[in-house]
Amino acid sequence: MTEQSAPIVPVPEAPVPARKESASAASENRAWAVAVAGWLVPGLGHALQRMWGRAFVVFVAVGLLVIAGASMRGNVFTSNGNDAFDTLGYIADLGTGCFYFLARFMERTGADVSHAGGDYGTRFLATAGVLNLLAALHAFEAARGRKA
Amino acid sequence: MNYTSLFHFTHFQAFLFFAAVISVAFGFLGRRQPKDRVKYILWSFLLFLVVGIGIAWAMYPFSR
Repeated sequence: MTEQSAPIVPVPEAPVPARKESASAASENRAWAVAVAGWLVPGLGHALQRMWGRAFVVFVAVGLLVIAGASMRGNVFTSNGNDAFDTLGYIADLGTGCFYFLARFMERTGADVSHAGGDYGTRFLATAGVLNLLAALHAFEAARGRKA
Repeated sequence: MNYTSLFHFTHFQAFLFFAAVISVAFGFLGRRQPKDRVKYILWSFLLFLVVGIGIAWAMYPFSR
């Protein structure tokens, strides 16, 4: 049995109204602003969207990890890294946003990774940065209207 | 001020601290309803403990 297919008639696309297009661009810009704010100040991206619980938890979690990591004399990487691992560590540490400067301020006695505590501290700092980047991405997606 | 005196963790305490903080953060980011969050946090924390202690025991024969 053969089926006869109807001829395909191209349907002209409806023109997108200029107002809708500019609203979409504004929404996209707002989402990026939320993401950058969330990166610079942990939790701010969620706070701007009135997600108070998430904002508070992200701020406290990143803050606790940074303070613990720095006080355990973890390594706070700088831009003058010697190898790729230092650069990766620097990128991870930068993820903490403004808390990076707090960690640098607390690290006056220098890192001490000869003990396990210092090594754990380095991991805490890197985790804080990656966690904050994840939270900023989450805020970005929420600002774009994805279910969060 | 000497900031190095703020946190003095043993290995196990550092492990518990890390697991607790990350579990709470993941729970709040990943779930919306309070009940779901609590379940997620407890489950995540438990898995951190089980996997961490499991890996520690798996490495024990090679530790010396």
